[in-house]
Amino acid sequence: MSDYQTHVFTSTYTADVSGVCSAMYELGGMTILHDPSGCNSTYSTHDEPRWFDGKSLMFVSGLDEMTAVLGDDQVIIDDTAAAAGDLKPRFITLCGGSIPHIIAFDFKGTAHLIEKKTGIPVLPVATDGLKSYVSGVGMALTEWIKRFADPSESIWERMPAASGRGFSSAQWKKKGSSGLCVNLLGVTPLDFSINGNVQAMRAAFEDAGIPVNCCAAMGETFDSLSHIYRGAVNVVVSSAGRRPARFMEKKAGIPRVEGLPAGPDEASALMEAVRAAYEDGKSRILWQEPAEHEHWTCPQGQILVIGEEICSCAIADAINRLPAEKRGGRLAFPMWPDIDEGLPEAELIAAMRSADTVIADPLYRVVLGRAGKTRFIDFPHEAYSGRIYRKDMRLFAGTEFSAEDLLR
Amino acid sequence: MEAFQLIGQMSYEYNADVGLAYASPVRGVWNIVHIGTLVPGGHQIYVCPTSCLRGVVLTTAEMGAMDRLSTITVGEDNILEGDMEEALQHGTERIIEELPQRPRMVMIFTSCIHHFMAVNYKRVYRILQKEYPDIDFVDCYMDPIMRRTAPVVPALWRQMHRVLKNVPKVRGQVNYIGNCFPYGGDTCDLTALLEENGVKRLEANSCRDYDEFLSMAQSPVNFVFHATGLKAANDMKIRLGQEYLAMRPGYSYDEFDQDMEAASALCSLPAPDKETVAALRRRCEEETEKTRLLLAGTPLSIDYTAVDCPLDLALFLLRHGFNVESVFVDVFTERQEIFDALKEEKPDLKIYASLGWNIRQMDRTHEGKIVCVGQKSAYFMNSDYFVNIIENAGLYGYRGLIQLMELIRDAYQTEKPMKDLVQIKGWGCSCS
Repeated sequence: MSDYQTHVFTSTYTADVSGVCSAMYELGGMTILHDPSGCNSTYSTHDEPRWFDGKSLMFVSGLDEMTAVLGDDQVIIDDTAAAAGDLKPRFITLCGGSIPHIIAFDFKGTAHLIEKKTGIPVLPVATDGLKSYVSGVGMALTEWIKRFADPSESIWERMPAASGRGFSSAQWKKKGSSGLCVNLLGVTPLDFSINGNVQAMRAAFEDAGIPVNCCAAMGETFDSLSHIYRGAVNVVVSSAGRRPARFMEKKAGIPRVEGLPAGPDEASALMEAVRAAYEDGKSRILWQEPAEHEHWTCPQGQILVIGEEICSCAIADAINRLPAEKRGGRLAFPMWPDIDEGLPEAELIAAMRSADTVIADPLYRVVLGRAGKTRFIDFPHEAYSGRIYRKDMRLFAGTEFSAEDLLR
Repeated sequence: MEAFQLIGQMSYEYNADVGLAYASPVRGVWNIVHIGTLVPGGHQIYVCPTSCLRGVVLTTAEMGAMDRLSTITVGEDNILEGDMEEALQHGTERIIEELPQRPRMVMIFTSCIHHFMAVNYKRVYRILQKEYPDIDFVDCYMDPIMRRTAPVVPALWRQMHRVLKNVPKVRGQVNYIGNCFPYGGDTCDLTALLEENGVKRLEANSCRDYDEFLSMAQSPVNFVFHATGLKAANDMKIRLGQEYLAMRPGYSYDEFDQDMEAASALCSLPAPDKETVAALRRRCEEETEKTRLLLAGTPLSIDYTAVDCPLDLALFLLRHGFNVESVFVDVFTERQEIFDALKEEKPDLKIYASLGWNIRQMDRTHEGKIVCVGQKSAYFMNSDYFVNIIENAGLYGYRGLIQLMELIRDAYQTEKPMKDLVQIKGWGCSCS
């Protein structure tokens, strides 16, 4: 049985609660992390590069033993109302760690009561502190869109279903002659840092003649993001964007394309897929959808790319698009952490040792030790090593990226 | 609402740890990972959900000490299947077997969730102890949900000394308990006295190896400089028969003298002679005056991360003619007469709660130069002129006060890159 729980040497990806805070950071709200303590300082220290100079609101509820044992939700209701009264946020997000989860804290009910007391919209995001940030970002963005965006702005309208059942993309058609523009979903510093990746990604689309409607959620305001349904196609640029994309697909027929413009070839393929999705309304994944990763392997002597799912798939795909001689005849294989279970260390070690080259966050170097023959290429990932290698983050999400240079 | 209150309008019962709490980007204060890493030859295992692990793992990674920490993630399946004990036992076994070097001591940190799931971790430790008799297993806790009744830092200082056995005591040796930093003879009156009399001093932060750490059990006396060390000292008195004395970390000359006399008596040493004490007092006054003249009315702000007794320091400085403008402190733990005196003598002293929600959006500018004692006050006052110390930094007594004055003068004269410095986690931690 694979042991995903024990990590003798390796670090851990950041948790769902940090994902929620990160996704909501720029939108003018107040995020309440229902937890005893610690998650808030972890987020503000390791996971949030905008914290020092910013004034965005994120607080921990400071849940204590008696409040938890007695299930006294009135404490967080009153405390939130008091803070909201002073700070007047545009909305409030309520998420939580593992203790609210095991005492069956009612996120939805409490959110309702806070909203009733303060008159401020409250989003319940029932995180549990057990999953990765991918889950948290996705849940938070979905809740936000559910509450504040207007699906009637979608350029897609439902057609009467032939069978009268189901909600497949075939049941939607474009209204009128709206042009192609996209939303970039799943964008937070946890995957893209603050080194220019987001700007490069936007430029890749705009240079290809595809305007970016919204980038959820960096570089947007509450008001601009509220028009997210105007995007004709959703581009899932990190796996954290998959959940809101699926929601918007069901709700308003917006097709999704999973991919990242990692270099000119990958960008070109992505733009083509986006245009095709715009034409036929069908969702796509840029590369062949990888199998479920119950068992991770990397064939002997190949290239292993470890990171966030979309990013590692895109980088691997960009490498595999190179002529064989430029990648030494090798193929690249992506590997990414499961949302619930992370990466089982034993399988990770085996995969890394069988690879010829590993492209991964520098904190994974410890797995290979000093004696290994495997070549290691640093590819820092904020959701893994936090701020430690922030200055060395790569610019990977744009046409300037070169897979060939990465391997050099 | 303002981010501060005037002390003249406050009550002694003030405590900012109520309501929603804010985490500033100031990270100098040590956490349990830094403290646990002090034990030479020790290995830490944290058993928690992902959200709790992240902070401790990256703290360790930043220290470059990942070879001294492993983790066991608590997952949803453990909650549903109730196999926390098995995960704990088998995970620990795997870690021990796979570590390149056998640890002498393993500190296993369980978390809030273990309390609520009623996990029988003591039984697991008994099994592990039988399985690995050459390793000392210590139950440690990262359970902030219990922070009001059993705060994690005092509990860790106690637990990490639990490996000490009751052995015959030797004369001429004492321990300092609960210090992150070594207390050297140049900045600590007690160390100076011990060094003058050839008494050996042991403390976790400077033990060379695990055997030396264990030899702390032979000391007949423990000295404690921070309230966070008292739980350990009490425990060691009961278990090991070691007497202890709390050296008050304030700024009263009379308290210095009383504590030094008590310490001398406890170690059967002559108390510092009156001439020496008088000379030290004179030197303190001279250094304080020199500092006052240099600052020339420049405002000062003090915070609780730098010194254990920020109110007492504020009072000392005010009575010596300084312009103390504000204090950052989240709870009053100092004696009430200090609070009352400040209330009377400086009712417009601003008290900031560094945890309070209103401080997040406060205007972090200050009209004119301000000198700060501590990282938090420097951040909130946006000042590059600050004394960059935490947890008293090994300063005690007259010598400590003299050194503090020198640091304040240096802070006034020398700009520091505040933004870079205050974000370093575990300031001055060299345990890696």
